[in-house]
Amino acid sequence: MAAISLEGLFKSYGATPVVRGLSLEVREGELVSLLGPSGCGKTTTLRMLAGLEHPDTGVIRIGGEMVAGPGVRVPPERRGLGMVFQGYAVWPHRSVEENVAYPLTLRHMSKTEVAAKVREALRWVRLEALATRRPHELSGGQLQRVALARALVASPRVLLLDEPLSNLDAALREELRAELAALRARLGTTLVFVTHDQGEALALSDRIAVMNQGVLEQVDAPETLYREPATPFVAGFVGGANVLTGEVREGAFHTARSGTVFQLSADTSAPPGPATLVVRPEDLALGEQGTPLPLSARLFLGHAAEYRFPVDGTLLRVVAPPLEVRPGQTLKVQLRKARLFSVG
Amino acid sequence: MSPLARWLGLFAWLVPLVLFAVGPVVLLLARGAGAPGTLGWDWLVSEAGALGNTLAISGGAAVLALVLGTPLSLLLFRTDLPLRGAFTVLFTLPSAIPAFIWGMGWLSLASPRAGYLNRLLGEGTLDIHGPVGIAFVEGLSGLPLVLLAGAAALRRVDPALEEAARVCGASPARALLTTTVPLVLPSLLSGAVMVFLMAASSFGVPYLLGVSASPPTRVLTTRIYELVLLGDEGLGRASALALALLLLTPLSLLATWALGRSGRVRLSTGKGLASRPLSLGRARTGATVGVASTCALLVLLPLAAILLTSLQRSFGARLAWEELTLAHWSGVLLEPRTLRATGLSLLLATGAGALVCGLGLAAALLQRAFRRLGAGVEAVAVWPYAVPGTVLALALLLAFSRDWRFILVDKVAFVLALAHTPWLLLIAYAAKYLALGTRNSAEALAQLDPSLTEAARISGAGPLRAFVDVPLPLLRPALTVAFILAFLSCATEITMSVLLVPAGSEVLGKLLFDLQSYADPAAAAVLACAFVALVVLGQAVLALVARRAAEAR
Repeated sequence: MAAISLEGLFKSYGATPVVRGLSLEVREGELVSLLGPSGCGKTTTLRMLAGLEHPDTGVIRIGGEMVAGPGVRVPPERRGLGMVFQGYAVWPHRSVEENVAYPLTLRHMSKTEVAAKVREALRWVRLEALATRRPHELSGGQLQRVALARALVASPRVLLLDEPLSNLDAALREELRAELAALRARLGTTLVFVTHDQGEALALSDRIAVMNQGVLEQVDAPETLYREPATPFVAGFVGGANVLTGEVREGAFHTARSGTVFQLSADTSAPPGPATLVVRPEDLALGEQGTPLPLSARLFLGHAAEYRFPVDGTLLRVVAPPLEVRPGQTLKVQLRKARLFSVG
Repeated sequence: MSPLARWLGLFAWLVPLVLFAVGPVVLLLARGAGAPGTLGWDWLVSEAGALGNTLAISGGAAVLALVLGTPLSLLLFRTDLPLRGAFTVLFTLPSAIPAFIWGMGWLSLASPRAGYLNRLLGEGTLDIHGPVGIAFVEGLSGLPLVLLAGAAALRRVDPALEEAARVCGASPARALLTTTVPLVLPSLLSGAVMVFLMAASSFGVPYLLGVSASPPTRVLTTRIYELVLLGDEGLGRASALALALLLLTPLSLLATWALGRSGRVRLSTGKGLASRPLSLGRARTGATVGVASTCALLVLLPLAAILLTSLQRSFGARLAWEELTLAHWSGVLLEPRTLRATGLSLLLATGAGALVCGLGLAAALLQRAFRRLGAGVEAVAVWPYAVPGTVLALALLLAFSRDWRFILVDKVAFVLALAHTPWLLLIAYAAKYLALGTRNSAEALAQLDPSLTEAARISGAGPLRAFVDVPLPLLRPALTVAFILAFLSCATEITMSVLLVPAGSEVLGKLLFDLQSYADPAAAAVLACAFVALVVLGQAVLALVARRAAEAR
């Protein structure tokens, strides 16, 4: 267990900047997710933390000890970490127990001690029965657990997880997600988790760090992040919100390109001027009042339906009770709750 | 790898390569380019015949391989021909066994008077001597190159293309001829270009079937050999001819590259498109008989002829049971000269195999570490493979005909005295077959996920320990294959062995060459049988390694 501190990290590959001025503190025993679309720099950040990449500038501390910084470059094997790779990286030429035992044999432990620890780690991930199997005989979910046991067996100060669930099918993902949460509750290790799946991040994390184009957009607890997104990007990525640009004038929002007008409810505080409107699909209503818009598609979701209206070259999504309507019909769309971000 | 370690590694790798392969060949080329200036142009005109013969014979060999290889590859890799697996194995033998041995086989079959075929058909019906015979043997021994190119291309042709032609109303045969054949033709042609190159660099066959014929047929490689035997006065001319021969390589590789490129554009990039083999229907029996008899005539018959020659009391004697004897076998195999040659050959082949694996693996790792510069590393490693054995041997002979003294910081000096030592052979073998190690390692390395090594680092292993624990064991099958291939190639190598063996020593390739050329065909046949046995054994081990690797995956 150890706290982590990243200070002003920059990293580029050739002329392409990947991480731009990232600072983040992770407390001891905390689980922080790095969330963002692919190419946002989250995996690079994790790899710098692991020592597999070296930041161009910036300082990384693990448990107070500087592991990367000016003139300091502690190699990965001396950082005391555990890591689960995206493709698991389970060694095909070693059996399950040989895979898990490897970090211990490097620490010069006695054979009986190694065997006991391997058995314990395999019990954590419920693989005791498969200890002597070879990796090619295992399923994806089982391989993932081998990787997890191997990462945990030497009691690392920090556990790093690089999209550990993304290669699995939906049902297995649910199961492993629950298992990961249980394991974490038991072990209390500091955890950094990279994912592009907002559901995964919301369900597992103490705090989420949302990244976009190499920059940290917001770091907060899942609920805060969902309720009070600090930027339009966070609102769009985490809540699946509609994002429109335009201008606030006389208590209404005018979109930039088509000039479509949405009345703002009385409790929405908005100074006049250029702004970005962020509204979740479920915070829009269809009814007697509102802006008339042509319906382009209706997707039945079961408990509700999603309605799509073309506005300003994108599709405005509305989630509302199922109605008997057809594409082409004009419906009235009303804002119930929206957030406005002033531009500039 | 840290930048400093990378550059140190590159330097350590380049020193032996530049010193023992690149440097000598460049020196030879410089000498060859200067030769017309000192010797005049007149003699060059007199050598034009050798150049013409080389071009004509190699062209003929390429055409033969293409004409035979095209229908064969379609039958073997596209249809439901029975026993196609076994046929494929038999048809790859011609490249695995040295061309010189096929030349011996055809000499036994079709030498004008004593050849077995001529005894059946009437004396003098067939004559394997001369340009046509050389081209025939070279074409056959290059056939697998065309077949393998065809197999690789056929695997990449989207079967939907042929099915589309069927839906449009074409018969199966017509669909094959109008869609698949034009698509794989560029690959087959590039295989044929490789046959051309191989035939142009070949020394053993033109020597066996050309030099001793009347009138003699001379090609570039055999001329170089004759000039080297003349001693110092011939070396200048030999260098100039080597330059001419070497120029064929980039030209041919350029042609292959161009053909490969035009072929690749139209082939699907997806891997492993499983297609249903085309049903031969009523033609099945006819096709089977055709392929089987081709195989028997071109592959099995020459080998049988060598075996028969080895058992006959004397070549040309009456064919009868009581004329057969094992005397040659016991004589040749137990002779001290053979044993000495075997010992040295196996030692050199083992050493060269180890060097090929070590330097090849290093090349593959450097290639990966340097990314863009990696192409240059690969070029340096693979290029000696394309240099004809005669040229490489001549280059080493010239470069190390004198001792090199290196003086480091005043006092520390060492002398590189390699002339007339077996070390020169070891260098030649390792340089020539380094490509096997590089290619095999690079392909295996490309399939390794870098995160496997990273996982070992995170687990607490330092860079060296992580390399030994993870990539190395995973690369072992590929390195084993490279070692066996290099070992077999070196143990049965003839061209360079003939030129580089120091007086008083003996290696198998030189022994076979000498026995066949000067002494006694029956004894040579015994040795040839041993070569074939060694190659077949090696191929069996390779198949076993491949199967084990496939099972472990």
